[in-house]
Amino acid sequence: MVRTTLPSGLRVVVMPRPGQRRTYATFATYYGSIDSHFRVPTTGADLEVPDGIAHFLEHKMFAKPEGDVMDQFAALGASTNAYTEYLTTSYLFSTTDRVAECLAILMDLVQRPHFTEENVHKEQGIIEQELRMYLDMPGDRVHSNLMRALYQKHPVRLDIGGSVASIRTITPDVLYRCYETFYHPSNMLLFVVGDVDPQAIMDQIAEAQREKGLTESQGEIVRYLPDEPAPVAEPWVEQVMPVSLPLVTIGYKDPVGRLAGAELLTREVVSDVMWGVLLGKASPLWSRLYEEGLINDRFGAHYTAATTYAYSSMGGETPDPERLAEVLAEELPRVAITAEDVERQKKSQWGGFATLFNSPGDLAYQYNAWHFRGVDLFQFSDALARVSAKEVEARRDEHVQLAHRAVSVIRPESA
Amino acid sequence: MGEGVRGLGQDKPNHDPNAFVGGTEHGIGVYTQATDRFKTISLHAVWLTTLTEGAASVTALVPSLLRRGARRWPDWRSMEMRLEELYGAAFRAAVEKVGDQQLVSCHLEIPDGRFLPGHPDTLSAGIEFLNHVMSEPHLVDGTFPAEAVAQEKETLTRRIQGIINDKAQYATMRLMQVMAEGRPFGLSRYGRVEDVAALTPRMVTERYREVSREAPLLFFGVGALDAAALERAVRQTWQSRPADVGMPPMAPVPGLHQRKLVVDEQEVNQGKLNLGYTTGARLPDRDYPALMMYAGILGGFSHSKLFVNVREKASLAYYAYARVDGVLGLMHIGAGIEFKDFSEAMRIIEQQVADMAAGHITEQEMDFTRRGYVTSLKTTEDAPGSLIGMQMQRLLMGGGLLPGDLIPALERVTIRDITRVAESVSLDTVYFLTAKGEGHDVRLPLS
Repeated sequence: MVRTTLPSGLRVVVMPRPGQRRTYATFATYYGSIDSHFRVPTTGADLEVPDGIAHFLEHKMFAKPEGDVMDQFAALGASTNAYTEYLTTSYLFSTTDRVAECLAILMDLVQRPHFTEENVHKEQGIIEQELRMYLDMPGDRVHSNLMRALYQKHPVRLDIGGSVASIRTITPDVLYRCYETFYHPSNMLLFVVGDVDPQAIMDQIAEAQREKGLTESQGEIVRYLPDEPAPVAEPWVEQVMPVSLPLVTIGYKDPVGRLAGAELLTREVVSDVMWGVLLGKASPLWSRLYEEGLINDRFGAHYTAATTYAYSSMGGETPDPERLAEVLAEELPRVAITAEDVERQKKSQWGGFATLFNSPGDLAYQYNAWHFRGVDLFQFSDALARVSAKEVEARRDEHVQLAHRAVSVIRPESA
Repeated sequence: MGEGVRGLGQDKPNHDPNAFVGGTEHGIGVYTQATDRFKTISLHAVWLTTLTEGAASVTALVPSLLRRGARRWPDWRSMEMRLEELYGAAFRAAVEKVGDQQLVSCHLEIPDGRFLPGHPDTLSAGIEFLNHVMSEPHLVDGTFPAEAVAQEKETLTRRIQGIINDKAQYATMRLMQVMAEGRPFGLSRYGRVEDVAALTPRMVTERYREVSREAPLLFFGVGALDAAALERAVRQTWQSRPADVGMPPMAPVPGLHQRKLVVDEQEVNQGKLNLGYTTGARLPDRDYPALMMYAGILGGFSHSKLFVNVREKASLAYYAYARVDGVLGLMHIGAGIEFKDFSEAMRIIEQQVADMAAGHITEQEMDFTRRGYVTSLKTTEDAPGSLIGMQMQRLLMGGGLLPGDLIPALERVTIRDITRVAESVSLDTVYFLTAKGEGHDVRLPLS
């Protein structure tokens, strides 16, 4: 593996995978839906932008004066995509051939914005349909409502895509302000995995950045986030939808303030092992809930850690959200955590990590996610090896508290 | 397809990296691809049964109960603990539908011991696990435990009722139902709620015995494994199927309707427009590569006519696609649209279909589509699941090209070939899911 930081501040990582047919690359920026209040470095002025603009910008990067970038990838037989999350925006391609040309197009896609009144207006219709599609997805709604219930002020409480109303206020000018602030190379990571010559890839990227005149780092971006109080916004929220059975997601907010690097990784790994022990499919509690008919076989609990927020969530279809929440509230604090349980969980997590390397997409995703949280992928094994039953127990006592819990329910129309 | 599994012979020697080694004897097929490309070993076993309305539910419960316990790991928990011991091996027992067949499948993906601390032999443990779970389920007094059956009946019932939660999936299911009009391919792989309710532990156990003794069994392995050892382990565990057991030939699906319109209303934010076509060509057919090109140019990619015209030019939708079911020979067009845009979306979609038939296809569309397929066919090699899926489909269909032959076949397809297959593409049914109160004015434009 070859890793370097270019003079522009761009981080480049190439992971050679001999024998793999697919070459997969992501170009990602540390800019997501929560970055809606910041200082524009070119003018020094503070700016608040419409909700959903990071996602809108992601859509619009594909538009160029000569047409849609998708066509340039299609001409090479490559596929491309992009996605926006709370924390980051990523652009990617997947190809079996002509990697250098694909890489050139990817850099051009991300580093040459072209926003006009006309193309912005056109995109509003498309994104409106995307948002309406999500509004009909119960799984999406139950998560979205949970985030609003967990957080009082942090913008992670808002939908990544914004709302039909907020995206209508987006203009080319404000898109350019966001672009200038967050798409500087020093805020970005270019990751390539495949059967490639790492040095050739490195040289190509360095040369392209020189040609674009991107030779200086921009420095730290000033982002404004409101102080998030520790208590949840609302302990219980509901929405009615045309579903067959109630859908529930239970969340535990983890008040972290700022979190990054080794501290974040340890918290994440210990929390994941904790949920595996408390509520994994091999836990007595899981069996009990399943046998009582309160959960289905997809039920599981997960921890999400980011630089300014963290939470656990669990859920699925249930005939009785109240009863499920009650049993969990009663039982989670008193589950006995044994060293054997923890060791078995660690084995299972090990397998999951090894399996990551089967899929270039999953690998790139995880590498990116940790990178922007100040974590290196290869720190994982050590962090996992260090986890002890004592730590897991302490984590449970600290994290699994009713005061930090919110419950989001989608109910069938008739109920 | 001729005599189904009875007709599954030895695969002819093939140097395509996608090719599997193996063959079918006495109703049991073992197919392997030994390779060290992957970090995991994938084992996939399926029993093949014919999908019928009467047996769908009882068959669907079989994998659910296999998942609940085996002789050595008699409950959910001990089985899960075993999987965690196997470094978080992923085990899935499921019921699937391919054309008019209902498949009971068990899938195990185990991290390869070479990449784990201490290099444990996860492969032998994995084969043993899968064989044991499929051949020795946990029984009490000769039947699946009554409590587990009751719980799994409940879970299955919820799953059947839950299809309504995913609107895109629901709309697709309704389209197939209307097109099939009672034919097996339109049935749910989970069966019907009223059938589930009537099932007893004895009925499910008997169905398990029948399936496990008589149904043709296909076993696939991909990863760093020894083909001969896997074949030995499978043949030691499983007896020959009765000689006269085979799958009925899968019939091509003729259309029963012409431009039939069905509209449903629900409390939704977006309309789901779905069009079903008969095409006359299926996977093993000579015309299949031309049909792939047809559907690809029409709606398989982001450069395709539907995406460009429905989404990019008219801003009517976020997604608009065309997809071919190579097993049934059907094509499905889908788009999520504003309720009021039904007529406009129909007009644009039918214009694209008409353009295909008239041969209004550019060299660029041909070229981009070909390249898109070539890339996705080549990357089949990177994913064990895709390799197994492709091999299984070829066995079930009694033919179909591997990427090594399909790629040149796609490259030979001409615009004339495409307009020729277009003549057989016929609109059978239009299904529209719309909001409450929005459905009464929906009319199909004349063709």
